[in-house]
Amino acid sequence: MSEFDAIVVGGGPAGTSAAMRLAASKLNVLLVEKADPPGSKNVSGGVLWGNSLAGVMPDWEKTAPLERYVKSKGIGFLTKDSSIDISFRSTRFNETKTGYTVLRTKLDQFLNKKAKDAGATVVTGVTVDRLAFEGKKVIGVEQDGDVITSDAVILAEGANPRVAIDSGIRSPLKDEDVAIGVKEVIKLPEKTINDRFNLREKEGFAGEYVLGFLDGGVEAGGFLYTNKDSISLGVVISMKHLRENNKTYSYDIVEQFKNHPSIAPLLEDGKVDEYSAHMVQEGGLASIPKLYGNGYMIAGDAAGFSFSNGLILQGMNYAIASGIAAADTIVEAKTGSGISEQSFSKYEEKLMNSFVLKDMHTFKGIGDITWGNLIHQQMPGILEKVMLGLFMEDGEPKRHMNQIVKEALKSSGLKSSKLLLEGYRMYRRM
Amino acid sequence: MALELVVLIKVVPDGKEVFVDPVNFTLNRSMATNVLNPADENALEAALRIKDEHDARITVMTMAPPFAEPFLLECMSRGADQAVLISDRAVAGSDTYPTSLTVAAAIKHLGKVDIVFAGEKTSDSSTGHVGPGVAEFLEAELASYSRSCRYEDGFVTAERVLEEGVEVVKIPTPAVVTVITDSNIPRRATLRKKLNAQKKGIIVWSLQDIGLPSDWVGLRSSPTVVKKMLPFPAIERKGKVIGLDMMDDFVKELVDTGIIRQGGN
Repeated sequence: MSEFDAIVVGGGPAGTSAAMRLAASKLNVLLVEKADPPGSKNVSGGVLWGNSLAGVMPDWEKTAPLERYVKSKGIGFLTKDSSIDISFRSTRFNETKTGYTVLRTKLDQFLNKKAKDAGATVVTGVTVDRLAFEGKKVIGVEQDGDVITSDAVILAEGANPRVAIDSGIRSPLKDEDVAIGVKEVIKLPEKTINDRFNLREKEGFAGEYVLGFLDGGVEAGGFLYTNKDSISLGVVISMKHLRENNKTYSYDIVEQFKNHPSIAPLLEDGKVDEYSAHMVQEGGLASIPKLYGNGYMIAGDAAGFSFSNGLILQGMNYAIASGIAAADTIVEAKTGSGISEQSFSKYEEKLMNSFVLKDMHTFKGIGDITWGNLIHQQMPGILEKVMLGLFMEDGEPKRHMNQIVKEALKSSGLKSSKLLLEGYRMYRRM
Repeated sequence: MALELVVLIKVVPDGKEVFVDPVNFTLNRSMATNVLNPADENALEAALRIKDEHDARITVMTMAPPFAEPFLLECMSRGADQAVLISDRAVAGSDTYPTSLTVAAAIKHLGKVDIVFAGEKTSDSSTGHVGPGVAEFLEAELASYSRSCRYEDGFVTAERVLEEGVEVVKIPTPAVVTVITDSNIPRRATLRKKLNAQKKGIIVWSLQDIGLPSDWVGLRSSPTVVKKMLPFPAIERKGKVIGLDMMDDFVKELVDTGIIRQGGN
């Protein structure tokens, strides 16, 4: 007889959701989180999109520590001197059921407490070494030579899935599977943030940027989210490019982003309160490992569940939804045919029927677009030239727009046939 | 019969997050998170190393409000067998004298004791009084400022770090050993021990439990009186970059401004 019905490795959104769901079904569940306090070892942008948390906490929007709801969404192309921004704000971005900016140290501590209140045994500050096997069947987890036994294990260990890799159920990460995320939290008074971003109380801004001005052709995206009285800002850098350009440093890129003429004024007089860096799952469908086996399932970032199309970055809602699906699979197996690889195959079925795997399939080729020359190198330059051509008054006779665009394209070196082709691919895949 | 080891701990504000109030010069701890006093981590490790070699039982003990519980559980998660929290409103405001008295009374209440371990000092008040105070009240031998210690046949051999060098002392038990900061590498908690600690919980004693009258402790029974707090005068540093080729000018400037003096023959 096992000590626990289920062990959940990782106390982030995936793990805590799974633990809450399991405990709600009166199962004896252990949640193990390496950080103490929870949330202090991960890095997330972070905006929590969607309503997945309602699956374990119907009143989450009232009780969870949320910073601001996303009232205004921005997309920007930055060149050395200019920024071309699209900003969307709508009264239809309501205070409910949209995106919320969150600070994960607060949110994760709240979620771990909720799991504990629901009846889970929560242990923090200790790192699980690997899964414990009996033949091919997982019988618990191993930590410092001890085996803690359990009928089922959910690995929700995040973007750096060491336990899965060390247990031989997931291949090591490849450069193209991950990006490096570097983030700062910059303190500013609530009112200053409201003024600078044209926001009212509780309203927030979430912006993604293409950094088209980096040396050496390094491809990186920037993000800037408003919290209640701080700004979360950072960059996500292609691992492959960072390795190829060994004179490029991630912290340098953050500085360049912060010092950009259209970003710097937003941060003025702010004080850096936190600095962090972590891997970001970027591999898409191709990087997703086998999601289940006899006695185990993989959920959240550890399974590669994250979504990015350049316009939006999401991970937490996929984590929560997959954590809940894994928990439900255990509950069903326990009350039904028992735990086996066969009964855990229901997990993948559930994900296939939800946005989690549907999105991964729909956007399977997106990586080529979001990490590509067109978006990172050529597009910002072309847009800048077009905008300058349209709006800069230099005393010369005015030209038609098609002429301006043609010239901009010409100087970018991009053939219009190539642009059409690339544009079409982008249009289709996004 | 198993050796009875006691480790005294204190929960302190994280020194990196404490600052001096510019108005009344007291320590502002409101922004700080709590941590285990650094030297106490080494004291616990010293006790655990004795337990690695001998049949021993370790009791961790602190006098604090209930917020100390997770820290006691953490000590059990690293290998201590039980934890005692002495918690009583009457001890509030105690200086190191009634604190030592209370802790010694609790140790006596525990029964037989062989070695008491404590950190050399706490990072928040730096007196280094409580370990020696407990030794006094227990009428036990003391080896303060130890970097390592061994136990053999009723004797503790400790290496004491003094200003002039290292002194090796051999003292009979019962003994109190205070352990210097960073003298060993504390082991980490394990999942199994964390689960056991959570299951077992801690022991909470009041003054009544240990049989100490409440008017012997607290602010009124504390002889220490803080009369005045004075700040260090702030010194403004001048930052200056000097090229290697400017060394002569630099030295001359230092002599002219009286910062250094020219040596005579």
